[in-house]
Amino acid sequence: MIRAHGLTKRYGGKRPKTAVDDLTFEVRPGTVTGFLGPNGAGKSTTMRMLLGLDAPTSGRCTVGGRAYDRHSAPLTEVGALLEARSIHPGRSAYHHLLALAHTHGIPRARVRHVLEAAGLTEVAGRRVKGFSLGMGQRLGIATALLGDPGTLILDEPVNGLDPEGVLWIRNLLKAQAAEGRTVLVSSHLMSEMALTAEHLIIVGRGRLLADTTVERFVRDSGTRSVKVVSPAAARLAELIAGPAVTITSDTPGTLDVQGADAEHIGRTAAAHAIPLFELTPQAASLEQAFMDLTHDSVEYATPLEGAAA
Amino acid sequence: MTATATDTATHPSPDRATPAHPTPYRITPARVLRSEWHKLWTLRSTWITLLTACVLVLTVGITMGSTYDGDDADIDTVVFVLFGTQLSLICFAVLGILVTAGEYATGMIRASLTAVPRRLPVLWSKAAVFTAVAFTLCLVTNVVTFLVAQIWLSGSDKELSLTDDGVLGALAGSAVGITLMSLIALGLGALLRSVPGGIGAFIGSVLILPEVLTTLPLDAVDTATRYFPAQAASSLGSIEHVKDAVSPGTGLFVLALWAAAVLGAAALRLRRSDV
Ligand SMILES: Nc1ncnc2c1ncn2[C@@H]1O[C@H](COP(=O)(O)OP(=O)(O)OP(=O)(O)O)[C@@H](O)[C@H]1O
Ligand SMILES: [Mg+2]
Repeated sequence: MIRAHGLTKRYGGKRPKTAVDDLTFEVRPGTVTGFLGPNGAGKSTTMRMLLGLDAPTSGRCTVGGRAYDRHSAPLTEVGALLEARSIHPGRSAYHHLLALAHTHGIPRARVRHVLEAAGLTEVAGRRVKGFSLGMGQRLGIATALLGDPGTLILDEPVNGLDPEGVLWIRNLLKAQAAEGRTVLVSSHLMSEMALTAEHLIIVGRGRLLADTTVERFVRDSGTRSVKVVSPAAARLAELIAGPAVTITSDTPGTLDVQGADAEHIGRTAAAHAIPLFELTPQAASLEQAFMDLTHDSVEYATPLEGAAA
Repeated sequence: MTATATDTATHPSPDRATPAHPTPYRITPARVLRSEWHKLWTLRSTWITLLTACVLVLTVGITMGSTYDGDDADIDTVVFVLFGTQLSLICFAVLGILVTAGEYATGMIRASLTAVPRRLPVLWSKAAVFTAVAFTLCLVTNVVTFLVAQIWLSGSDKELSLTDDGVLGALAGSAVGITLMSLIALGLGALLRSVPGGIGAFIGSVLILPEVLTTLPLDAVDTATRYFPAQAASSLGSIEHVKDAVSPGTGLFVLALWAAAVLGAAALRLRRSDV
């Protein structure tokens, strides 16, 4: 269980910047929760606050019922992968993990186990300096798993991973959630989250935009339309027009109808003997729905910052 | 409205749904020490700086001993054979800075503080491990260098044995001086969070600044500089009382105070600021 209440972070300097703005949310155990938002939305900042690395300007957050630094064995409580690299490149993967394991008295066998799980056994003795982006990311995941934690907080874990690695993460997260653990994972990619997550927390410019399930998000994304191709498009448009119906037409003979379903359009056309060449329901893509939702928070970002300068 | 807010804020019951982990794993001070010990010895830079430091002191000591022709009769014998410590001090200081600032440069500090979120035990453990390693190594190197140099010095006016009055004290005092000085460097690294910044600050304020100040024709400044770290340390490493320096007891006290002050400032920054 992760909880944030009124979480706010402002960075100082000459132009104070609110990175996270009054965020309140809960992440429940047993499901994968996707943490989404465009660049600069405050995802990484929120995660750093959850881990006690950044102090909130105001508000509180707890992991497993306590502030992170109040746990007597934090690595067994929360496993974290941060956005910025958090590994000394001069140390080998094995010694990096072992040094962290020593702080909690975690045995070597566990270190070897997580190296194996991350597919790093062969390179465990090599210095991290020579690791590829993906190998570094795998070591980060191995670090997160070290204490067999009840909560995982992962900042863009699929960054730099090959397709096999992406699949590994996806299955890993689902398996961890199925065991009753709490999993919070950030991403920019709605499509990736739709495959992995059940719950979604969407932020933009530091504010909470949506706290919902993937299913409901898809259902509510609302902008579904029906594409209609007919030689009598104009007449059909008049017939189905109504207060809740929006009709647009890009090319003559083609309509894009929102607010009326295909069945209604088809019956109306039949009743008036209007021939139809095409009648296709168009599901809005998740990526589109995500962009529509975060549109404002992205669009206003640049002009506002420019004005402040 | 207030009701809902307090409801979510003060109701911790659903948190108990988090799977409990009845594990023997727990942070203890001894374990954090062990972790820092492990971190220190698993980096090449540690071996390189320490080995360089020891080799420098020994070679300079041998050179001084084997080329002695009675010209420097007025120089204290321990100071004479340990001239190399002027160079090894830099090695130890650099290592101290790497131990702390090196973690900020690489981002390792985020992993360290996620593992030990109370933060201060990490700094104290780093300081403790470093102090133990630096002191032991300095002491051993000093004694060995002294004994080896005596191979050439026997029969000269600098012939001394370990058991002679003040010899062991001076050899140990020199080790304490180097250790505390490089502990200041470690603290500067933690305070400034930058390797070049730490090295610059150490060389600039600890090694160069007092030398510049002593050139000023002011007695008050002259007296004050005696209490600077390097000048206080110089009182520790010789058999005879050093001219223009404080007494060894005062020197030790002042030097320890400097180290404590810098580490205290570093601790304050560690507690207060984001990483
Ligand atoms: N240490 C810092 N000092 C000043 N500003 C910061 C700092 N860290 C983050 N910010 C600002 O806070 C905002 C949020 O950044 P954050 O990294 O949390 O976003 P994000 O959602 O993780 O973005 P991305 O998807 O690109 O990773 C950004 O505008 C960033 O410039
Ligand atoms: Mg980020």
